Amino acid sequence: MKRRALWSTALIAPLALYGCGSAAGPESSEGGGDGTLVVWDWKSADATAESYIEEAKADFAEKHPDVEVEFVAQPFDQYYNLLGTAIQSGEGPDVMLFNGGGQLRDRADALLPLEDYLAEDMERLAGWEAFSADGHVYAAPVTLQGHPIYYNKALYEEAGLDPEAPAATWGDFLADCETITEATGAKCFAMGNKEGYGIQFFLSGLGSGVLTAQEYDDWIAGNRDWNSPGVKRIFELWVEADQAGLNNDGVNSTAMFNDEFAIFDAGEAAHVIGLMSDIGHWKEFGEFIGAENVGVMPAPLVNPEAAPNLPFDGGIGYGVAEWTGDPELAADLVRSLTSTAALEAFYADAGAIAADTTIDASTAGPATADIVAQIPTGRPALHVALSAETLELMGRLSQELLSGSVTVDDALDQLAESDQAG
Amino acid sequence: MLEKETGSPPPSAGTAVVGPAEATAPVAAHRQARGPRRGRARRRPLAERLAPYVLVAPAVLVIAGLRLYPLALGVNFSFTGDGDRNGQAVGWDNYAILFDDPLFTESMRNVGLLVLLLPVAVLIPGLLATFIYLRVPGHRVYRSVYFFPAVLSPVIIGAIFNLLLAFDGPANALLGAVGLGPVDWLGDPGVAIYAVVAVHVWATFGMALVVFLAGFATLDASLIDAARVDGASLPRVIRHVIVPGLSRTIQFVVVTTMIGMLTSMFGLIYVMTGGGPEGSTYLPEYYIWFQQGQMSRPALASAASTVLFCVMLAVGLLQLAILRRSGRED
Repeated sequence: MKRRALWSTALIAPLALYGCGSAAGPESSEGGGDGTLVVWDWKSADATAESYIEEAKADFAEKHPDVEVEFVAQPFDQYYNLLGTAIQSGEGPDVMLFNGGGQLRDRADALLPLEDYLAEDMERLAGWEAFSADGHVYAAPVTLQGHPIYYNKALYEEAGLDPEAPAATWGDFLADCETITEATGAKCFAMGNKEGYGIQFFLSGLGSGVLTAQEYDDWIAGNRDWNSPGVKRIFELWVEADQAGLNNDGVNSTAMFNDEFAIFDAGEAAHVIGLMSDIGHWKEFGEFIGAENVGVMPAPLVNPEAAPNLPFDGGIGYGVAEWTGDPELAADLVRSLTSTAALEAFYADAGAIAADTTIDASTAGPATADIVAQIPTGRPALHVALSAETLELMGRLSQELLSGSVTVDDALDQLAESDQAG
Repeated sequence: MLEKETGSPPPSAGTAVVGPAEATAPVAAHRQARGPRRGRARRRPLAERLAPYVLVAPAVLVIAGLRLYPLALGVNFSFTGDGDRNGQAVGWDNYAILFDDPLFTESMRNVGLLVLLLPVAVLIPGLLATFIYLRVPGHRVYRSVYFFPAVLSPVIIGAIFNLLLAFDGPANALLGAVGLGPVDWLGDPGVAIYAVVAVHVWATFGMALVVFLAGFATLDASLIDAARVDGASLPRVIRHVIVPGLSRTIQFVVVTTMIGMLTSMFGLIYVMTGGGPEGSTYLPEYYIWFQQGQMSRPALASAASTVLFCVMLAVGLLQLAILRRSGRED
């Protein structure tokens, strides 16, 4: 009998192991010394990024004609899994693409501080904060990502409102929304919180209309008082907006990508807190409702002492692995990837707001011009300052807030605890 | 089948080790035919003793090198830290974090829920197969229709049901037409897990149905005819004739359905709910993927893998016990 049990275990063990297979990366080509640099990203295979990659390669080839650059495009939904495996084994690409904020900061240990190599670019490029941690810069920004509040000028007009004068205060904003809903049947906000992203956009999009400049600075600097009246007000607004019927139905089962944006595209909602680059942005909205109908408005003032600003950060950027053979060479590649010519191509083809402040973006429609005009006064977005863990918890709690299974005070206590632990 | 393989030792090993000269006679005769090696007759027992080990070696090495060794590494890794404590031994910290994490406890609760829902998942194909076997009108059509979803990938099925179960989707439109309020199928934490399991059952019951139909093929039709002649109603025929006759098939379906539920729902969850709403549809697999990739906490993910491994081991041994008992009944 004992022997039989032993056999059983031996037979079952490999079977059971199927339950816990780990994500193995594809054959990762190691870069380094032998005149090859390997770049990992999720962009280079896109048709819209082709000209950008070509420009960057050409720029780099001019400086280092004997070095070959290999771009490996990974699927985005597996990107950080694969990168995590590479970092764990201490070998992988020399240069890699990152989203700004938590995804980069969580992996700063595996990256090379770049401030000495990139000193010349500091002025020309914007959005460094999202790629910095503990006083070091770990990646150079390629695009800017932010959260403007877009509105549908056609709906404003249909409701008899002035499309060029959106509400400046929260009270007026609510009144406008009511008028629009009555006249057109469109909801106030297109909102999707299935993945828990809705609250992030809400926090950053409306936060600058609630927090005072001092509170805002403290938040970004890391001194976050989750129980302050301002922060509490933002989360109360999140609940109130849904209860007052400002959002589309089924917020917790509506995916932000792309059901939420589809609601705005279809003219079924008057406002959406969108993005600046890549997706859910001016270019996409313009294709559906007409570029002339896409408006951008500052956050309505909830607190009269607040100073609304455009929340934006570095969107994506290239960093250098700490294990690379020749740091200077890899940093040079990062410089090529953020050269003006390359970024101009990226802006033109992919519809991204590039990090290079010297690019003229005024020709792409009124919304783009508005956004670019606000960049000099813009500030880092509130949610980007949070760790990936706190963001995940905030997403879950925001769903519970909408279903009423947690109170605002409870949620803020939990968030404060998670924020301090991280 | 299993009984025979594991119950008696391999014959060649037995004769070589235990057997006196007479017992190895056939082998010796075989050797003799090769001629040149006749002179080394005294060494034969050693070679014979080694032969079985050499023969099993590839299989053992593959299991040990590619399965057990990585498993040991993984378990070992689960006792190290993440982030700042990368590489340092942290004892049971990861396991403490795990069982303190509401997401992980939710995922384990959902495993329990899956076990509770198992009878439903077996009953549905069982009943439908019974109807087909009893030749309800149109049974030929149903046989292929029921199997059809089994050929679709979970991602496609998830995408289809995302549309059907959307808040403003057809399912709620249908409910509205009969005067019932809309249900937020994938947005209500009390409903979402059932919706996902229901979709999983819909997607996979075709396979179980085929197994049931195969089982029915072995059923003695004269028994059912006899029961009918005696005036037994349909429920009684099912209860007293069909179910006992299919006991082994049912056990097999229970085991395979259980494995399917525990190991292949990742795709559906990933596409349909992403673990939400409020973390109510997390399963251990999804949790592991999430911690490893999204939160970059590979050591914590290893700890969760180790716990899942133990659960699967327990379930696997239980299944073997069930299979063995069914073998004995035979």
